[in-house]
Parts: sequence; C-alpha cells; structure tokens
Amino acid sequence: MPVHKMVGLALRYLLLIWIAMIFIFPILFMVVSSLKPDLQLLMDSSSLRAFLPVGDISFNNYTSAFDRAPIFFFIFNSVMITGITIVCSLFLCSLSAFSFVFLTWKGKGVVFAIILATFIVPFETIAIPLLLIVNNLPWIGLEGFKTSWINSYHVQIIPFIADALTIFLFVQYFRDLPKDLVEASRIDGATWFQVYRRVIIPLSGPIVATAAILKFLMMYNNQLLWPIMVVQEETYRPVMLGLQYFFQLNTQWGEIMAYLTIITIPVLLFYLVLQKAFIASIASTGIKG
Amino acid sequence: MPNNKVLAIRRQNFAGWTMALPACLLVFTFLILPFFMAFGLSLTNQRLVSPNPTEFVGFENFQQMLGIGLLTMEPDVDDTGNIKIDQEGNPVYPRVRNFTRNQDDYPQYFKKREWFRIGLPNDKMLVVLAQDVVFMKALFNTLLFALIVCPIQAGFALGLALLINQPLRGINIFRTVYFAPVVISMVVVSLLWRFIYDGQNGLLNALLQMFSLGLFESVDWLGNTATALPAIMAMSIWQGVGFHMVIWLSGLQTIPISHYEVARIEGATRWQTFRFVTWPSLRNTAILVMVIITMQAFTLYPQVQVMTRGGPLDSTQSLVFQAVVRGYEKQDISGGSAISVLLFLLVLSISLFQRYLTREKD
Amino acid sequence: MGHVSLKSLNKFYGDLEVIPNLDLEIPEGSFTVLVGPSGCGKSTILRLIAGLEEVTKGEILIDGNDVTYLEPSQRKIAMVFQSYALYPHMTVAENIGFGLTLAKLPKNDIRKRVLEAAKILQLEDLLERKPKALSGGQRQRVAIGRAITRNPKVFLFDEPLSNLDASLRGQMRVELTELHSQIKATMIYVTHDQVEAMTMADQIVVLNEGNIEQVGNPMELYEFPQTLFVARFIGSPKMNIFQGKVAAKYQCQTLGVRPEHMEISHDGGILKGSIRHIEKLGADTLIYSQISGYDTVTARIIGKLEMNIGDPINLKFSDNHVHRFNDGIRIDS
Repeated sequence: MPVHKMVGLALRYLLLIWIAMIFIFPILFMVVSSLKPDLQLLMDSSSLRAFLPVGDISFNNYTSAFDRAPIFFFIFNSVMITGITIVCSLFLCSLSAFSFVFLTWKGKGVVFAIILATFIVPFETIAIPLLLIVNNLPWIGLEGFKTSWINSYHVQIIPFIADALTIFLFVQYFRDLPKDLVEASRIDGATWFQVYRRVIIPLSGPIVATAAILKFLMMYNNQLLWPIMVVQEETYRPVMLGLQYFFQLNTQWGEIMAYLTIITIPVLLFYLVLQKAFIASIASTGIKG
Repeated sequence: MPNNKVLAIRRQNFAGWTMALPACLLVFTFLILPFFMAFGLSLTNQRLVSPNPTEFVGFENFQQMLGIGLLTMEPDVDDTGNIKIDQEGNPVYPRVRNFTRNQDDYPQYFKKREWFRIGLPNDKMLVVLAQDVVFMKALFNTLLFALIVCPIQAGFALGLALLINQPLRGINIFRTVYFAPVVISMVVVSLLWRFIYDGQNGLLNALLQMFSLGLFESVDWLGNTATALPAIMAMSIWQGVGFHMVIWLSGLQTIPISHYEVARIEGATRWQTFRFVTWPSLRNTAILVMVIITMQAFTLYPQVQVMTRGGPLDSTQSLVFQAVVRGYEKQDISGGSAISVLLFLLVLSISLFQRYLTREKD
Repeated sequence: MGHVSLKSLNKFYGDLEVIPNLDLEIPEGSFTVLVGPSGCGKSTILRLIAGLEEVTKGEILIDGNDVTYLEPSQRKIAMVFQSYALYPHMTVAENIGFGLTLAKLPKNDIRKRVLEAAKILQLEDLLERKPKALSGGQRQRVAIGRAITRNPKVFLFDEPLSNLDASLRGQMRVELTELHSQIKATMIYVTHDQVEAMTMADQIVVLNEGNIEQVGNPMELYEFPQTLFVARFIGSPKMNIFQGKVAAKYQCQTLGVRPEHMEISHDGGILKGSIRHIEKLGADTLIYSQISGYDTVTARIIGKLEMNIGDPINLKFSDNHVHRFNDGIRIDS
C-alpha cells in the first residue's frame, strides 16, 4: 500500500475512534464510578482517572444500593410489565394486522385508516385524559373489586398493548407475504385462526423480533411519565421510578451510578448480542408506507 | 339459497372483526378516546378532584395561556424634566406592576406578567407581557429546542452515517458503539449527565479545565439560565444521534453501487459525488429524519423532569413538562389538556408539512 | 365423480366486469383446459370454482350440489398454484399432509396417505426436506402431491408449468397427462399457452374477455375454429389471415389459411412477394414472406429448402383448407 493511502487510512480510523470515545466514555464513566467510594469518585472526576477502575475499587456501592432500595423488586416489576406488554402486543397487533391484510370485512378500510391516523398522536398529548379514564375504570383482580386502575400493574400494561406502529409493521410485512400461501391453506381446510397460527406466524420471525425490540425499548426505557402519574405505591413501581430512592437527604452518587449500571447493563448486553436485530428494528421505523 | 350468500359474507365479517377487534378496542379506549377527551377537557375547567361541578368555559384556557400584551414604556422623568438615571447610568423605568395591577386604566394589561423586554431607540422600552409567562417560556423553549437540535442532530447523524458507510475493516464495531446510547433510557442518560454537568465536581468542567490547562472557569451548566437548555440539547443529541444515523444509513444503502461507479469513471471528486449522487437520493430520508427529530423534540420531557424540573428561572420549561405539572401535580386537568391540544396541533402541522413535501415529488 | 357446471356466472371487481355471463359444463373425469390471452378471465373462473373469489351472480355446481357460497375447503377441490404455494417452514411430508393434519386424522393414516402420494410422484427420498432445498420440478410435484392427498373430486391447476424451463415443462406435461389417466379425477387447467392446451386437454375452452369463444376437443378447435379469435389463437405458427381481394374471392370478409396448407407455386400463385426470413427447423422449414398488399405470410414447407432471404416467392393454397369468417364468425360452406 502506498504511503499516502496508509496515512489516509490511519486518519480515518483515528476519527472513528475519537468519535467512538465520545459515545463510550460517559457509559464507561458510569460503570467505573459505580465501583468507587464517593470521595474518590469526586476527586477522580477531575482527571482521566474518572474512566479507569483504579484506587479503592469495590462493590460496596452495589451492596448499599440494594440495602437502600428494593432493587430486585423494581427490576421484577419492570421486566414483568415490559414482558407481558410485549407478548400481548405481538399477539393482538399481529392478529389484527392479519385481519386487515387477508380478510374482507365491512368497515375494514375505515377502521384501518383511523388506526393509522393515531400514528401521529404522541403519548404525551393524551396522558392527562388517559389518567382520567384509568382513574375511573373498574377492575376485578386478586384483591377483589376496585373502582380505579391507579396503583396497579395493569394500568402500566393494558394501555400500551396496541399501538399503530406495531400494527403497521405487521401489516407491511404481511402484505409482502405470498397470498397464495393463505389461499392454499384455506383450500387445505385451515380456519382463519389456523392460517394465522400455523402458516403466517411461523413465517414472521423477522418482524416479530423487530416489533418486540421496539416495544421493549419503548416500554422498559420510557417508564417515567406514566408511572409518575399512576403509581404512587412502591409495590408497582418500575426501575425508572425506583431512582427516587436515591435522591433523599444525602445523595450518594456512587450508589446512583451502581443503580444506573444495574438497570442499564442488561439492556446493553442484550443489545450487543442482538445488535443487528436492534439496528434493523430502528431502521424499519424509518421505512414509510 | 340466497341465504348461503348472506351466511358466507357474515362468516368473513365475523372472522375479520373478531380478529381485529381486541387491538382496535384497545387503540380506541386508550388512544382515540383520550385524544378526543383532551379536546373536550381543554374547553372546560375540570380538575382531578374538585368540589365544584365542571363547567364549559370555551376557549378561556387557551386565551389564558396565549394572552399577550405589548407595553411601551418611557423612562421616568424627574421634576426638572430629565430622565432619571440609576447608579449604573441606565434610565429608570416605571414598575411594570403599575400597569398590570391597574384594571381601570389598563384593562388590556391586567394580571399579565412580564415575559421579556426589548430596548427601543430614544430610551423607550418595549415590554412583552404574557398572561401565562411560564407557558410562554415552555412554548418558546420547546420550539427553540426543536429548531436548534434538528439541524445539528440531523447533520451529525448524516456525517456519522457517511463515516460508517465506508468499507473499512471493523466498521461494524464503530456502528455498534455509535448506536449504543440509543438503547439506554433517557432517564438514565439524564441522570448520568446531571453528574457530568455538575458545577463543582462535574466531569465536563474537569475535562475542560484539563484541556485548557486550567484557564477554563467552572460553570454550573444546569444551574445557569444561559447554559441549562443548551446543556440539555447537547445531551439529547448525544443520546439520539445514533438513531438517526441508522435511518440515514438505511437511506444510503438503497443507493446502488453502480451510481458511485459511474461517478468514479466520470472523474467526480468526493464532494461532487456526494452533491450529485448521494444527496439527491436522500431527499425523502432527509425529510423523514427531520420530521422524526422534530416530533421527538416537541415531546421533550424526561430530560427536564430528571435534570432541572424546568429551572433555573423557567429557562428549561417544556410543553410536556408543563402539561404534566399542571395536569397531574396541580391536578388542573383542563389546563394540562389545553397544552396537550396545542402540542398535538404543532405535531400535526409538522406531519402535514411532511406529507406536502413528500407528495410534491410524485 | 366431479362434474362441474357453471351457470350464468357473473363477476365484478368493483365496477369492472370481468366475467359478463358464463355457462360451462365440465364433464366428470375430463381434462379441461381454460385457455386465452392474459386478462381473459380464465384465472378468475378457476378461483371462483375454488371459492377464493366470491361470485357476483350465478351458481357453481359440483356433482349437482350448489357450492357457490361454500368455503374452499368444503368444495372437495384441490388447487395447484402457479407459485406452488408450498409452506416454506414445513417439510415436504408436512406440506403434503397439512390438510390431513388440519382435519385431525390419526398420524398413521396421514403418514400412509403422504407416502402413497409421494410414491406416485417419486418424492419418497425428499420427504424430510424443506421446499427451499428442492428444484423447480420437485416443488411442482410436492404441490401436486398436496392436491392428491386431499382426494378431491376436482383438481384445479393455475398455470402450473409457467415457472419451469422448457424441457421440464415438456416432461411435466406428459406426467400430468399420465396422472390424469391414473387417478381419473376431473382436472381443470388454466394456461395461456395453447401448446399446453392442445397436448393435454380432452376439452379446451377458449376464452376472450370473459366470454367463451369455443368449447371442444383439440382437433375440433384446430380444424373447425368457430371464431376468428380461436382461429388465430390456436395453432403455431399462427394462421395466415387475408382480407380484401383474396377473401372476396371466397365470398367472405376474412379468410384464414394455416401455414402448413400454404404451398410454393412455380407457375405463378395468387400471392406474390419476397422472402423476409427463413427458419430451418430440420424436419420442416418456416418461410416468412412479404406479400404485397398483406402482412407477413407464413408457410410451413416439409423438408429442406434451398432459398435465401430476399428471393422472390409465389404462394398458393388449396380450396379444401380455407377457413372463412364473416364478422369474426365462421361460415361453413
């Protein structure tokens, strides 16, 4: 390779690495800081030591964070809320998308147009009336009859199951599947549900992954605005609300960093393993139909 | 026999409806219904818990929020007819409250508060009064946030996408790294950066001091009205730029390699290749990226909630944050709804604008 | 078993009428080919019979039973699609047996019937493969196998050979004909390829813009085309069509003569012109010549011929082999 090409290549990599550092260092700083006692953490932050696991390294912050707040409980809540929402969303949204694409029924066009139109309604604009609605919805659960959904798991799950994006993603994917397969299975004697369950869903792996990842990011990461409004009881709080525990009399930054690390690292690992699928999911939100 | 036909149609109708119904019902109850309620509520004086019955008040909430008054003031004059001057040599103006507390003489300024003032020639002073200064600041900040973050974030994202789109060894590692902040919750990011921005022990100050060899004066980034909103902007760009990089990237990858090969054969420079091959193919992607960023910018919330709660001195108020503060914390359902409706109208106009831009081409 | 009758069948797509009014009897055990140019409605008719499209008006009877509004699966039909429509996530055996699985038959019975079908179609060694790992011809066989296991009264084929290459197509034509004589069910076969129609059918239905032009066996259609459309559509190379003076001589508006009935005349025939193009096929030779006052006229001459492009040529035909048409309808002498 000629010299000037070598230099050019080196410069390009230098630029790439320099930018990568901007993205990595804050995350690295979070993880490293979670291992240091507060005093050292504050001192180190005035030098590059902030990014190095040096000095008095321990998991003390983690132990005390666990003492301070019922972290496992919050994680359990978040995972359960997110998990149930994803499963229900995938099922119901794909089922309705199936009906929109493959069946003929009265009013289909209008209903679909209305659903698509909700695409541009940001959740933030409906949060307050939604609060009013869930505040007045009845529920029969394990604890008996209740006149409000406030302070519960289901208030954090049910409103988020169906959304235009997920339905739309499935509709687009189904439209590209060969219609012949559906017709062949109808001739083979499959009911509509069997066509959905045994022919279409087995062929929908990629879109199921995409929809699941998007829903996961939407749910796990954004559990702030809505829970603040509808969950006062600790029992039902997701991880993002659990943060409040760490802003009491004396804020222990090391503990906060430990908590942030605990709730972020699983997502990051998940992302590293499935990074292709994650990136493809985001890219698919950019495909306009 | 015609019964058979009716039955056949009913069968499909039934199956179709049954399968679509659960999701549609959920969308209706938790999206469409509250959406229309927001409009309705914004025309009332409903509160979450109130002893008084709810009343229809028309557009009062909107008038309340959007009411603006312009007041031009002359400097105070002393007995000799000279302009009064304060210790720093600036003219002294009457107190604004002389106008806003005086319903008889100045009904148009009544109960309004000063939003900002602009100096005019001849020592006159223009004071912009607003019925609801906090809302005005929230509206202004939200628009400013969108206006500044949009081009910068889109530009950076495009730069990154072009950088990542090179056929270099290990390029996927860089793509993975640049995208990583996107999968981290904005709540987490905001907290982390709150620490980075800290005025005393913040990492940012420390680094700036180190690189400027101690010349840099520490700044309390989030505690200063001049830097708080820009600090939130910078952090938001850091978190979101990977998202838009990926959308640009998928736009870039739809351009056939043969187009670049033709450009090379014809001797185009790098810039010419970008200008005449890459950019024209990215038109729709560009519009899409801008719209997504604008929408995200309009719904600015977790950053404000976690980092500043609107402060200092309302310099980081945002529409969504105000909607939550009013609708939830102050239990003023109608006020919060009115903000939501305005927010929706903003989003709608952006989305119609996008329709217009993308349709033009066909 | 398997007599299909279509009575006053009418189909609209929105405002577009694709089948105006169609009556057709498809005898039990026949191999009926619906043929016509694209857009003639042949696939629509097949899909109406299958129940994949809903008729606008009219009736469909299978063995006298009204099936017009029955579900596709209840009509005792099976269909082979142009794309084969094999389930990509199932093995060959699962594909063939899917209908039986849905009908909740015992596993052993399914296995047995899948094997039976596989044997007829020589698929025994491929049963555990996925469709992706099969060649075009093999996929075609699996699709047929899936139809066979349904044990239908009527087989419906929607251009099943159009995705295969030429040599395989020839082979599958033979296999399908053999299959028909072996299982003796009614077969309705849609194609735009008149060669397939001629070689396989015992009844051909020529369709044009949703209307039946002619129904009959291949030789009837070839020798006595009832309409100008059929005359042009059936036969390769196409029939030569003459109007004007030549037609007038035979007291008709339009005169048709098949290329094999054209002869080279050495003593001044009625058609004078020059050779534009020659195709030497070995056993015979096709001569395309430019005749003054007419389009290109094709002649099929048996054996080899020593002529060159541009040579002058005289053509004639015998009176016994002309087809005469007025207003597009055959007039018999």
